[in-house]
Amino acid sequence: MSTSAKNLVRFLLASVAFMAAAVALNYIVDPLQLFRPAKLFAAMYSQDTRVQDAGLIRSQDFDTVFMGTSLAIHFRQSEIDKALGTHSLKLAMTGSTSREQSFVLAAALERHPKRVIWEMDDWIFVDSDDIDKDIWLPADLYRRNVKGVASYLFSGAMMRESLWILLRSIPPLRPIVARLTNGVMFSFPLSDVDDIYALRDDFDVPGTYNAGKAMAEFVHITEPSRAAYLGEGYNYDAEVKNFERDAIGLIKDHPDVTFNIYFPPYSILQWVAMRDASPATLKTVYDLSAYMSRRLLEFPNVRLFDFRCIQAITHDLNNYSDVVHHSPVIDKKVLQMLASGQYLVDRSAPTASLERLKAQVQAYRVQR
Amino acid sequence: MLFNSYPFIFAFLPLVLLGYFAAGRLGNLAAVIWLALASIGFYAFSGWQFVPLLVLSVAFNYAIGHLLIERKLSPAARSLVLATGVGGDLLVLGIFKYAGFFVANVNALFATALSVKILLPVGISFYTFTQIAFLVDAYRGNVARYALPHYALFVTYFPHLIAGPILHHRDMIPQFERAEAQRPHAHLILCGLIIFGIGLFKKTVLADSIQPLVALAFGPVPPSFDQAWIGALAYTFQLYFDFSGYSDMAIGMSLMFGIFLPLNFNSPYKASSIIDFWRRWHMSLSQFLRDYLYIPLGGNRHGSVRRYVNLMITMLLGGLWHGAAWTFVIWGALHGAYLCINHAWNYFVPPIAPRFARAANIASFTVTFLAVVVGWVFFRADSLVAALSILTKMADPTQVAFGRAEMARAALIVVYAAIAWLAPNTQAIMGYDHKKRIVGENLAAFQMRPWFIYASAAVLAIGILGIQQHSEFIYFRF
Repeated sequence: MSTSAKNLVRFLLASVAFMAAAVALNYIVDPLQLFRPAKLFAAMYSQDTRVQDAGLIRSQDFDTVFMGTSLAIHFRQSEIDKALGTHSLKLAMTGSTSREQSFVLAAALERHPKRVIWEMDDWIFVDSDDIDKDIWLPADLYRRNVKGVASYLFSGAMMRESLWILLRSIPPLRPIVARLTNGVMFSFPLSDVDDIYALRDDFDVPGTYNAGKAMAEFVHITEPSRAAYLGEGYNYDAEVKNFERDAIGLIKDHPDVTFNIYFPPYSILQWVAMRDASPATLKTVYDLSAYMSRRLLEFPNVRLFDFRCIQAITHDLNNYSDVVHHSPVIDKKVLQMLASGQYLVDRSAPTASLERLKAQVQAYRVQR
Repeated sequence: MLFNSYPFIFAFLPLVLLGYFAAGRLGNLAAVIWLALASIGFYAFSGWQFVPLLVLSVAFNYAIGHLLIERKLSPAARSLVLATGVGGDLLVLGIFKYAGFFVANVNALFATALSVKILLPVGISFYTFTQIAFLVDAYRGNVARYALPHYALFVTYFPHLIAGPILHHRDMIPQFERAEAQRPHAHLILCGLIIFGIGLFKKTVLADSIQPLVALAFGPVPPSFDQAWIGALAYTFQLYFDFSGYSDMAIGMSLMFGIFLPLNFNSPYKASSIIDFWRRWHMSLSQFLRDYLYIPLGGNRHGSVRRYVNLMITMLLGGLWHGAAWTFVIWGALHGAYLCINHAWNYFVPPIAPRFARAANIASFTVTFLAVVVGWVFFRADSLVAALSILTKMADPTQVAFGRAEMARAALIVVYAAIAWLAPNTQAIMGYDHKKRIVGENLAAFQMRPWFIYASAAVLAIGILGIQQHSEFIYFRF
């Protein structure tokens, strides 16, 4: 064999050996805790919830699953547990669709929790890609099939995280590595699962949530050039179909699980924006909402809460950073109301709260 | 199929390579036909519906070339045949690439509501230019007779088909005709793998990692001064590592087949002037534009005013070649203006005294780099309004965020800048000389020191481990 041929063989073997070492490192450190809860190395967590949730479902103990969009993202598990007496796992994902939420919930329900708390927005039911075409959510990782596990173990990005976690676990290096850890360079910067997307204690709540910001967003989204976006993707038939598949399908399949579903308290401006700039969209949302309420309450394992017409919250624009996202102060109120059963929708009058909302929306006058 | 994908690296490339060497035992023609068919198969993975167009384009240009090379035509007839060939190529390119742009402008001007929806065939800009060069050279009498399989392979050769380098028939076809290329050569395969690995590393580790920072400037949220700069610089480095990574991969895999492709990059961000930049950036396109547009327009042979006009025309069309949008036109115009200023400066300003040479070099390097970054803002932005908005933010230091996240991102930009400015480029590391057809001579002389073998194996492995789904090369859309 010539020298070049020997070098070629050496090169190929070294490449394979290097990849094998990376796979071994990822398996042993297991940053997502997909194979086992962290013991050898410090547990670290990512804010990329679509990926992180795959590991949380496997590694955490829980009897309650908390699902939702960005409106449910800032809750702390510890606060949920304190308010509701649960052992919860928050799996909320910003901007998530019903297809994503249902898929992740189905994976979590394989661990047999007792209940689901589901922050349910109407817009999650717009048409979306099939879960295997979703580039943000690694479906195979949830399924733990060969493709999913291989993509996890053969990942250079995960190898970087594994090395970092490894370094962080070496006592003399721990302080400096911890100081250098940030969400820009490393995807697993959090050492406490409770901190995933939770707001820090020094977070500027009044600066972020105030009437000025809410009104500015209202003005922005109701500009004639932007008004068309308000109704983007809304189609009653498609949403009903997606709702049946993603929500009702899951509820039906798990009669032993209690689904505590709540419609969150958007600011009144969300509805008024549709009223003024896109009335057809408002009608679609009302119709879908009525359908959802009636359909959900057909199931004995569903408890439905409607917080959309609580004037004390929704008309106080200082609670909002835009027309829908409410402050952590309201998060706490939501937990209190879930615990006390306030605003629980009566099965005999599933659309009564919707009618109250409609009246409020009709009566509201915007003060710019 | 992407170069940075598992099916390509672990199935397509090894299979085609094995088939090529096996066919090579049967003779040169068999190997060439195998490689041409494999290349068309590769193209079909990127867009099977465009395969007929590619095949028709090859047949049309080969026929036109055949008329120009083989037939004894009168000068007028030759001109007519050339005009038919080039016109046909440009017509197809115009329909598929520019019809939508044309209609949008008609609509804007005349308030009409015309609509045209035509998908852009992958690589059409590259294979059209490659063949126009062939026809022009055939007209000039600079082309020998080529067999159809060799010509077809020259156009469709998969390492360059989608995003270049833009090849020249005089460079490539003689290589395809060499029988010895079809025998496996361990040294070339090894060097090819190393270069491929460096390219893959540039793409999957460097370009893909910095991509999220680009949204700081070009995303939906208006940036602050520092965010706009971080985003614009991030795109500057992303584009370089993405495209030069692609070019390295093309050169590396071609080397495994015993074929030397021309260089496309030579550390462009180390350029000390805009003229120098265009000798280092997308070199195969620059050479094409020079030989088949700038020089036929008259180049610098008709006085300085005509030279500047020719430069502007060349760069405007070069900009439009990248995409059917005003942002690309403005990008081309900007670089045309830069080149005019650079030439005028060289002509009118006396040479700098030697004692100031160092300072002058640093100043010209800095100005060149900043000018290029400003150009990339137009190149990347979704619209002229968006580009101007970003540039306005970059010029307004009163609004600064510079929080913890921005500091970390700025540190990342510094790392990328250090690599682009200080690290040797791929051809310097590998001793790749396309003209002399040599690679890795120094490395071979030192018997490929083990540390180099292991380090380059790690680079390839990290490149493979960095593969993400859905990460196309930026130049695929041109």
